[in-house]
Amino acid sequence: MGRKRIIDYLLALVIVISLNFFLPRLLPGDPLLSIYGEDALITMTPEAKVELTRRMGLDKPLWEQFFNYLSGIVKGDLGYSYYFQGPVLDLLLGALPWTLLLTGLALIISTLIGFILGVESGWRKGRLADQGLLTGFMFLNGFPDLVIGLFLLLLFGVVLGLFPLGGAMTPYSQLTGVSLLLDVLHHLFLPLSALVLTEIASCYLLTRTTVVTLLEEPFILTARAKGIKPKNIRYRHVGRNSLLPIVTRTGVRLGRLFTGALFIETIFAYPGMGLLIYRAILGRDFPLIQGVFFLVAVVILLINFFVELIYPRIDPRVKNNAY
Amino acid sequence: MHINYVRGFKENRLGRLGIIFLALILSIAFLAPVLTAYSPRQVSENILQPPSQKHWLGTNDLGQDIWSRVIFGARTSFITALSVGILTVTLAVFIGCSAALLRGIYERFVLRLIDIFLIIPNILLLLLTAAYLRPGPVTMVIVLSIFNWPGCARIIRAQTLTLQEKSHIKAAKTFGAGTFYILVKHIIPDLGPILASSFIAHARRAVFMEAGLAFLGISDPLLISWGTIINRALQYSYLNNWYWLLPPALGLSLTVMAFSFLGYTLEEILNPRLKVGKNAGD
Repeated sequence: MGRKRIIDYLLALVIVISLNFFLPRLLPGDPLLSIYGEDALITMTPEAKVELTRRMGLDKPLWEQFFNYLSGIVKGDLGYSYYFQGPVLDLLLGALPWTLLLTGLALIISTLIGFILGVESGWRKGRLADQGLLTGFMFLNGFPDLVIGLFLLLLFGVVLGLFPLGGAMTPYSQLTGVSLLLDVLHHLFLPLSALVLTEIASCYLLTRTTVVTLLEEPFILTARAKGIKPKNIRYRHVGRNSLLPIVTRTGVRLGRLFTGALFIETIFAYPGMGLLIYRAILGRDFPLIQGVFFLVAVVILLINFFVELIYPRIDPRVKNNAY
Repeated sequence: MHINYVRGFKENRLGRLGIIFLALILSIAFLAPVLTAYSPRQVSENILQPPSQKHWLGTNDLGQDIWSRVIFGARTSFITALSVGILTVTLAVFIGCSAALLRGIYERFVLRLIDIFLIIPNILLLLLTAAYLRPGPVTMVIVLSIFNWPGCARIIRAQTLTLQEKSHIKAAKTFGAGTFYILVKHIIPDLGPILASSFIAHARRAVFMEAGLAFLGISDPLLISWGTIINRALQYSYLNNWYWLLPPALGLSLTVMAFSFLGYTLEEILNPRLKVGKNAGD
């Protein structure tokens, strides 16, 4: 990866941080209002307002505030949540593992299933199985994540009552060991299925298109002519190469998975970053909104950066390009 | 190459389905006042009623008729989709074409900006901005468009660069045509297919983004939106209120699907051309 690309990432980080800092301060009106939100402000006494303005340095010049904000971030101080009565960083660290569990598993499962179905379907292009899968997934792709979550909640949670309607584990149950794990999985099942269903279609469609294009390449013809078994061609030659676009698009897919998690966690009251954002918006808890925005943006930037870093190893052809 | 859009859509099964869905939603949105006896905002004391002869889909927690809220929601969804589609594509044409025509440091600046914007997931930018601005319908359209143009602008710039090398445009130049004349008379008409598919893609995104933001409670609470209806219904899901949850969800899916299917079909009709555009200059 060239120096230009690294600078791109640094600039993206600068944009994220500046938006977080300047957006609330540049809006008309009291910056305290934008930072804490209306509801919190109403409950404050005038003395508390003055004290907060002083303590947060809002009476100082803008550049000095920005410098303080930056040094706060470096020290891990993301502010204080008025709504939840706690440091923003603690709230984020409490929610992050659940979201990572949910999106990480969804990413792995949807990639595996979508990839295998995509290869098999593209290999059988035009036949009944391919047509059926293609039409099915195109319909599935038409359902927004919000709606898929709702359907699952309504069918399996409300009507059939097979799964819990919310939470990540049974509260106050004091389960341990295997029963705790089962309880967590039981709660995870519906949100995870919803997220997998929203992601699997695009993974399948992408793989299938790549496979169909790859099958017309000369190196496949060569492999056939050499007498390599079809099964080996299908996965060693075609499959391996059709993984490339899926890896390149990890960044886009993570963004999409996060968006999905946002809605699905809200629907299933799953205590991750998505639900935290929803609650923060509901309570107009601006320090928390900013904190979540900052953390999620940084995590996605880092993963994207890492993917681009290892990409030349997976596909040596990009080394020759000017990336 | 001559493209027969009408035949292309007629011959494609998904294309026909897309047009039927779109027509259905459009006519519901257009005829909304005729299809219901109630105003979608009219509050009454008959709250949380199940479906009946009087209220086809029951009433919500404020006693408003759910059916009329759902069909008026189609209007919000549609108007947002069309406006965002038009505004995003216009922005992208303006920025993409100007970058390709003016070249130099301006082009490098624009490309860099696009690269950086594409790294940050735009849902995050949207959420943060919307949380502060509490957008009404117009601000919502502007915010959605501002965060959606970069990908589209990049494709348009690449295609404009390719088009500039075409002989009919070179011929126009030798006849003394100015940059602006070439842009309006030759380049923009030739970009037609790409503009159409970008428009559909962005209209589709706008439909679920608008509903999503409304669902999260970020947009104007007075706006009648499928997202808001779903959010309200979810708070009463213990009532097993499928008649309240499903209709807005179905409306949303139908609209998104209509745009998706139109998009697939268009891509299939145009594929050879689009492929050329994607490889060039990227």
